[in-house]
Amino acid sequence: MIEIEHLTKRYGTNTVVEDVSFEVEEGTLTVVVGTSGAGKSTLLRMINRLVEPTSGRVLIDGEDTRRIPEDTLRHRIGYVIQGYGLFPHRNVADNIATVPRLLGWDRKRIAQRVEELLDLFQLDPAEFARKFPHELSGGQQQRVGVARALAARPALLLMDEPFGALDAVIRAKAQDDLLAIQRRLGTTIMLVTHDMNEAFHLGDRIAVMDQARLLQYASPAELLMHPADDFVERLVGTAERPFRLLSLAKVQEAVEPGAAEGEPIAVSDSLHDALSRLMWTGHRALPVADAKGAIIGRVSVDGILEHGRSLP
Amino acid sequence: MLGVVPPRPMLSLDRLGTVIAILIGVALFAAPFATYRATRIASGQSRLLIEALPFTMSAVVAIVALAVAAGAAIVRDPLGRLGSAVIGLAVLLPSLGLSAGYLTPADNTFARVSPSTGFWLLTAAFSILAIDALARMRLGPYGRLAALAVGISAVALLLFSGIWNELSILKEYHTRADTFWREARQHLVLAFGSMAVACLLGIPIGIAGHRFRTLRIAMLQGLGIVQTIPSIALFGLLMAPLGALAASVPLAAALGIKGIGAAPAFIALVLYALLPIVANTIAGLSQVPASVVDAARGMGLSERQRLLEVEMPLALPVILAGIRIVSVQNLGLATVAALIGGGGLGTFVFQGIGQTAIDLVLLGALPTVGLSFVASIVLDALVDIAKGALA
Ligand SMILES: Nc1ncnc2c1ncn2[C@@H]1O[C@H](COP(=O)(O)OP(=O)(O)OP(=O)(O)O)[C@@H](O)[C@H]1O
Ligand SMILES: [Mg+2]
Repeated sequence: MIEIEHLTKRYGTNTVVEDVSFEVEEGTLTVVVGTSGAGKSTLLRMINRLVEPTSGRVLIDGEDTRRIPEDTLRHRIGYVIQGYGLFPHRNVADNIATVPRLLGWDRKRIAQRVEELLDLFQLDPAEFARKFPHELSGGQQQRVGVARALAARPALLLMDEPFGALDAVIRAKAQDDLLAIQRRLGTTIMLVTHDMNEAFHLGDRIAVMDQARLLQYASPAELLMHPADDFVERLVGTAERPFRLLSLAKVQEAVEPGAAEGEPIAVSDSLHDALSRLMWTGHRALPVADAKGAIIGRVSVDGILEHGRSLP
Repeated sequence: MLGVVPPRPMLSLDRLGTVIAILIGVALFAAPFATYRATRIASGQSRLLIEALPFTMSAVVAIVALAVAAGAAIVRDPLGRLGSAVIGLAVLLPSLGLSAGYLTPADNTFARVSPSTGFWLLTAAFSILAIDALARMRLGPYGRLAALAVGISAVALLLFSGIWNELSILKEYHTRADTFWREARQHLVLAFGSMAVACLLGIPIGIAGHRFRTLRIAMLQGLGIVQTIPSIALFGLLMAPLGALAASVPLAAALGIKGIGAAPAFIALVLYALLPIVANTIAGLSQVPASVVDAARGMGLSERQRLLEVEMPLALPVILAGIRIVSVQNLGLATVAALIGGGGLGTFVFQGIGQTAIDLVLLGALPTVGLSFVASIVLDALVDIAKGALA
């Protein structure tokens, strides 16, 4: 668990982060959103002490980070930035091996870990291990950047606009991959973005910042239903609200008894996807299949629309 | 207008090749090939190619040179151009030695023969052709080093085969071979020793300058001013304090530090070399991408690890480029050291000027030019190799 307590950062008289406190649960993905200059990066960088807080403190599993030597602290926390900062003079394998090598792992263990991570990120070790960063596409660089941050199995991963440099298609794939990997490894992640869609897609919890302050820290649904103030309401996008709600809910929640014609929808799909399929195929309802493919009921346009309302 | 295709020229001429061809024509027909002097300091008499060599030999040289001229203008294939340039040099260079033997009357040990405008122009034309051809072949750094090694071996072969021994410049060499090698060694010590000291001082200063803005500005401005002081003036400026030092500190005097001699020259060369090294170290470090440095910090590399494992390797090509500038600059400036008794190849240049013995001047100047040429090719190749390791 990460406890952020009254974190404040001032440069001269300019307060960049003001009295921010919140807690991040183990194994969850927290997204920090806000407009440019809101202080998101500064907040993130105070967690691994790239920026020293003016006041306040950060506890990781109850331990005050100021007690841990800077370098040791950073060895334990993964860090991914926009542009990734891969070392141009080192190949992919050596880039990924950076922190394990600093920690003095033996050669064999490092080699094994590098191979494991390349496999995890769908980069064939035989092809990619010896390549240099400039020989990779943007998407591949991004994966190497995340693999490098995860190399020493950090319990916490900090990501500052990690998808900012990717095109829409690759970005969606990279986001899904990140979610899958996070679920698999159970890593706690804090991710900074100013893309609201990304925030709603990825975040278990979302922290909204504006002008150095934390305005609201809540689950995505909470943020949509009960925005703390006008700024948050505008930020979540009044027009997109119902669709965002539908994206957050699964077909599971809207299954009704009965039969329907057509290609079945998976129970794990989002209501947003289901509605989109219904509209596109022109059906009023479609059958719903569980993970094994058995039909367990149906989902209808009317049923879905119920879930897009502000008052249930 | 309908698609009228302009008629293809029968023969398309290469621009540089045409210039080279004209140069060769001028060298052959309008410039003397060699200069004859009755004694080493007598005024020279020009000898045209036809007079400088036996008829058949001069005909061979002329025909080969004309063929190279035609080749330069017409042949496009770089390998063909290189081949014709090499053949040209292979005929021209030994022929100079033959000419010296031919022009010197038998048993006359006073007469001197030296290359003249025509020979120099032909050498320049063939060399430019060869260098251009090599450039068009886009050799990698190792290829360029190999080409350089071949060139050096060829020159060494010409020198040690004795074919040039009748030339005035080699006669100058043979009468003072001991001093020549001593001064050559002194020249290298001055140029490269001062470069080494400048690296030992300049790279740490550059690293500190990269970290601290005020230091950076002060250093660059101070060293910039040093660069603008003419070398002879800087030598002069150093003479007084070093003389005083030698007079007051016996240890300094015991170490050979005096107001005159190698010490002020060495120190001046170090001062000149510092600016390129400090400036390039700073430039090299500051072009390391900020995201790379940020990622390195974020992963917990200590300041030392960051510098040695990330910043310095990435700055290396730029630092090497600075060292390249310094090596060429110092080899040239070291010549001036002779003026204040610092020794080096400049000794022969200034002796030669004093005695109006042009060949003695060349004995000092040609090796200096050759060394600069070799140093710049070697360091260029090193810069490319360092870049390649990064790319
Ligand atoms: N080292 C610094 N010195 C002075 N001011 C700084 C420094 N770092 C950041 N700031 C200021 O702090 C404010 C917040 O910066 P920060 O980088 O945290 O914003 P951000 O929310 O990450 O913005 P963006 O979305 O554009 O990345 C900005 O106004 C910035 O100018
Ligand atoms: Mg930012």
